[in-house]
Amino acid sequence: MMGARLARLRRVPGLPVAGIFGPAATVIYLLFIGLPVLALLIRAAQHGNFLTGLVSDLALTALRLSLITSGISMGIILLVGTPFAYLLARNTSWILRIVDSLIELPIVLPPVVAGVAMLMAFGRQGVLGPVLETLGISLPFTTGAVVFAQIFVAAPFYIRSAKLGFQSVARDYEDISQTLGISPWGTFWRLTVPLAAPSLLTGFALAWARSLSEFGATIMFAGNLMGKTQTMPLAIMTAMESSLDSALALSVLLLAGSVTILIGLGLATRPKWQNRL
Amino acid sequence: MPVSIGWLKCRVGGFSLEADWHIEEGEVLVLFGPSGAGKTTTLRAIAGLVRPEEGRVELGGRVVYDSAGHISVPVHRRQVGYLTQQYHLFPHLNVAGNIAYGLPDRRQPDARGTVERLAKMLRLEGLEDRYAWQLSGGQQQRVALARALATNPQLLLLDEPFASLDNELRRELRRELRAMLVDSPIPVILVTHDREEALALGDSVQVIDGGRIVDQGEPLRVLGQPGRGRVARLAGVENLLTMTVESRNPQDGTMICIGGSVKLEVPLDAAPSAQSDGPEQRENITVGIRSSDIILASEEPRGTSARNRLPGTVTTVDPRPPGYEVNLDCGIPLKAQVTGAAMSEMGIRPGQNIWAVFKASSCFLVQEEMTSPSA
Repeated sequence: MMGARLARLRRVPGLPVAGIFGPAATVIYLLFIGLPVLALLIRAAQHGNFLTGLVSDLALTALRLSLITSGISMGIILLVGTPFAYLLARNTSWILRIVDSLIELPIVLPPVVAGVAMLMAFGRQGVLGPVLETLGISLPFTTGAVVFAQIFVAAPFYIRSAKLGFQSVARDYEDISQTLGISPWGTFWRLTVPLAAPSLLTGFALAWARSLSEFGATIMFAGNLMGKTQTMPLAIMTAMESSLDSALALSVLLLAGSVTILIGLGLATRPKWQNRL
Repeated sequence: MPVSIGWLKCRVGGFSLEADWHIEEGEVLVLFGPSGAGKTTTLRAIAGLVRPEEGRVELGGRVVYDSAGHISVPVHRRQVGYLTQQYHLFPHLNVAGNIAYGLPDRRQPDARGTVERLAKMLRLEGLEDRYAWQLSGGQQQRVALARALATNPQLLLLDEPFASLDNELRRELRRELRAMLVDSPIPVILVTHDREEALALGDSVQVIDGGRIVDQGEPLRVLGQPGRGRVARLAGVENLLTMTVESRNPQDGTMICIGGSVKLEVPLDAAPSAQSDGPEQRENITVGIRSSDIILASEEPRGTSARNRLPGTVTTVDPRPPGYEVNLDCGIPLKAQVTGAAMSEMGIRPGQNIWAVFKASSCFLVQEEMTSPSA
């Protein structure tokens, strides 16, 4: 016990790089991130018209549209992404391994490219354009297109995290559960999901944050139509041209949402049995 | 009458496995063998977690698997209790939650009664609110057992239930489990590679190697003085000596064998050549002696009925709980097992001259050639 404490006292914190460069780099980085965030808050406070900016038509409409579209997007991501992630976690066939390695493509792909790609697929001149047209469906520049864009860029965050979560649940647990008389379906809900819950929540939060902040793919594929496709990020850009108040108010709102998600993640995803699987 | 019978053929990768069993009410069948022999796969196939190629599994008079009849009851309807080596208590549930997990009405007062009854029976009272990581290995094992028993299994499958425990705890828990199993009518199949465990817990034993049953029967007979070389090695018979038959003495039921510079008196073999023995007939045989059957003496023992008395020297002494293993050179190498008290009393140390003493009946003949297990 004593020996362990002494050893800890004498311990040098890593390689020399931690001695000088480490603290310096930390300060520089914190300032780099912290200053703009602080500046945003300061300016928003100085303008004082935070509330009027927030209740402006532009802001309210964008806020409502963002919540509705990202809500729909997240519902679809959960519904499709969860079984898909489970399959990826449990199956090791070579086909799925290839699929697995491609899952994260939308994360590294520039969102604008995603928007162009979706236009090429679902646009009037797109590959599926004629088919959609005969069905009487026109997707680009509709609220549906916003949802498409959000799902495209946000889903990988949830699927990746959910897959890791399911992988962390040893199959033996599922086996035991079934020998105890619980059906495979029941086992999934009563055992696998609760045990993977921290990862599922993390993935959900990250995907939600990503879909709320979606900009590039949306403006390409859905355009910037107020009340129809103008989500909060697009509204901020539009507002910057006319009313700084609304832009600041929306920005602060999105910042607050991000911080809330971050704190929520920290609280919700650390149950006491974590790391004891 | 919860009786379980069945047979299985499985193929996992390039490994093929054949198993069959017949367990009476309250009986414990031990599957004994090295790791990789197919013991766990057998358990998993019975539970329905592995699909066999062919076979038939009957649990308590109910057919849960029959390849001929295309019957395969899913795992959750088989009513099989399965305990893994690491117990796998559900980490997000406390002890009570784990025990109640399989109860259909786990929020009803009845379920609470079941949990209380099992917690009492398995001495888990007061631990109901703890989580798996707050329990000792032994407690975890008892929770896993309670969780399995709560669902009224027709058969209990125990996969190396003591493997992750230290020696002392293992002995204590083995006693406990024995006591619990004796009271219970549920038949048990227990997998182990520990001979002591097989002897302590088994009503019958199957020795499994390479996916086949190489011997089966009453544990003391099968593992105490194993008659086949493969089984003897698996059962860890410490002394296996290659010798030649010198002469047979049917009146005493013994024979004299020679190996190196040593003559031993061993039980007469059942070979047909027992009648037509002659000094010129030199057959190779393998003689097994358990190290615990060898007595050490610091002086030549006189007036003893033990037929084999060999002078020799101590080469090395190794700790082998609960005692020590003394390696001897008596013209042939021999291993003897002694207690710590005997060690210090006799002052056993390498280089010391010593006598090894053992009865003719402590020696047993080991068949080296591969023969199929006789019925």
